[in-house]
Amino acid sequence: MAETKRACIVGGGMCKFGVRAATIFDMLQEATSALSKDIPGLKPQEIDGLIFASTTAGRNSNSLNTAPIVAHRLGLKPTSICVRVDTLCSGSNTAIILAKGLIESGIAEVIMVCGTEKLNMPQRWESVYMNLMTNDHDWDSAMGLAVPPPFFGMIADAHMKKYGTTKAQMGAVSVTNYDYGFTNPLGQFGGRKLTIEEYLDARTVCDPFGLNDCCPVTDGASAVIIASEERAKAMTDRKLVYLRGTGQTATHGMSAGWPGETLADWPHLKKAGEVAYKNAQLTPQDIDVAQTHDCFSISEIIEVEELGFCKKGEGGEFVASGQVRVDGKTPVNTDGGLLTVGHPYGATGARQALEICKQLQGRAINQVKDPKFALTHNLSGVCAQHTVVIYGTEPVK
Amino acid sequence: MAELQSAKLYGVPQLDGRYSQVLDMWPLESEESNRLFPFYDNMKQGRWTTTKCKKCGYIHYPPVVTCTNCWSEDLEWVDIPKKAKVVSFTETMAGAPLGFDSPLIVAWLGFDKSHPLKHLFVRIINCAAGQLKAGDEVQFVTFEVPSIPIDVKKDVKVCDRVYYAFEPVKK
Ligand SMILES: [Zn+2]
Repeated sequence: MAETKRACIVGGGMCKFGVRAATIFDMLQEATSALSKDIPGLKPQEIDGLIFASTTAGRNSNSLNTAPIVAHRLGLKPTSICVRVDTLCSGSNTAIILAKGLIESGIAEVIMVCGTEKLNMPQRWESVYMNLMTNDHDWDSAMGLAVPPPFFGMIADAHMKKYGTTKAQMGAVSVTNYDYGFTNPLGQFGGRKLTIEEYLDARTVCDPFGLNDCCPVTDGASAVIIASEERAKAMTDRKLVYLRGTGQTATHGMSAGWPGETLADWPHLKKAGEVAYKNAQLTPQDIDVAQTHDCFSISEIIEVEELGFCKKGEGGEFVASGQVRVDGKTPVNTDGGLLTVGHPYGATGARQALEICKQLQGRAINQVKDPKFALTHNLSGVCAQHTVVIYGTEPVK
Repeated sequence: MAELQSAKLYGVPQLDGRYSQVLDMWPLESEESNRLFPFYDNMKQGRWTTTKCKKCGYIHYPPVVTCTNCWSEDLEWVDIPKKAKVVSFTETMAGAPLGFDSPLIVAWLGFDKSHPLKHLFVRIINCAAGQLKAGDEVQFVTFEVPSIPIDVKKDVKVCDRVYYAFEPVKK
């Protein structure tokens, strides 16, 4: 049997995230332009595979079977794979799992993973209404479940009741991520600071969330290159960043299928993390920097618990005591996270992967000191799915 | 704007009053469209039902065509108890999706041990904002939702539809 190949992330690019006067194809082209500057040694002809992530392309951009159009608009001529994945908020992180498998098996050599979403529609009502189609339409959406704040509000309520998490601790997530995001010119809220007083004074979205507990409605696109170790070496002189392990779990998030005893417990995330740590041959204590899915402030608190960075129930204290800051135990969301960069679903995973790539190559804006291992995590839908990818500056032996 | 509308230079003029499923917030409920139509037919009688596997005894929710536990298709419809307790809830005061009134109240329900369901996410209706409390008892309630036209051979059949939510049990 042939020796298993190794997959690396080489670099990438993203467009400015925000309320954009642009189509998904415009934004993907901007992200590709940024990618070409990030990896000057890459020629478009070298790319043999395209895995494109978008959930709303068929809805908001009237484009089903979008991958061939994306290939055309980006000047790609794929020969190994050309496909769209639709796992909502984890789209491009799911694409990275697939790219890893295709490269390790020798089916592909150089894959572009990209993702995009156009979520701000010509009329505001549709941006909310469209989300009825991202949940279990006949059972949960018909109960009024569209955008997720009401459900995550109940999650926050459950965590506050069961573990004593406070509004100020949730505020610490938002303030920390605004501090990180301040230095990110491509983030929706880049250049903006948030004080705890402003956080506490912000208008209520739904109890117990104020405006700064929730990620905004964002348009954007991002792209990264996943390549075999040999091709990555040929493309760049930077430190190689290996994909070490992945895990993905799913549940019917809402109706009768919630896997936890309470909404504060996310066993499906714990499981996705365990699978990824096992494949990566690492433990939570090995992770030097992470990007977790802070769609809401409470999400990051539960994620640092279930991913094992702290004990279950202590996520609020972990964040509030500064353990997720750049000099803390496990820095989290060092580019500003979803809360400040924004969350164009399919583009988020690749945006996180790019930040982790930069961190491990020592070239991030909010650089952590000499990280060796790093993790990305997405939650998709209304906590219906969890996706974890672990990276390292050395491969699994 | 009224002029534009009457001149049909507005929106999607080619729809001309036709139904488009793309914007429908309710299920396709009738037997022309959905094998779970008994769920909705039963609901029109005020019954809350779901499927039970005759082979393994598993009770599914939502109801299914094939058992999620053993993949048998040998299922029957059973009534399930219509009362539950509110574990947690939120009230969206503004910005509910089009078609839902504000405040939109949604709740996470807990059922007692004899019930086949453990938890369920539902909408609460017939309840003013600020009235609901965790621990309150709520009950299954049905309401009419818009009928839709379905092309059946050369005719158009109008399908009446219902849906359900929960409401506070009067003390
Ligand atoms: Zn069965």
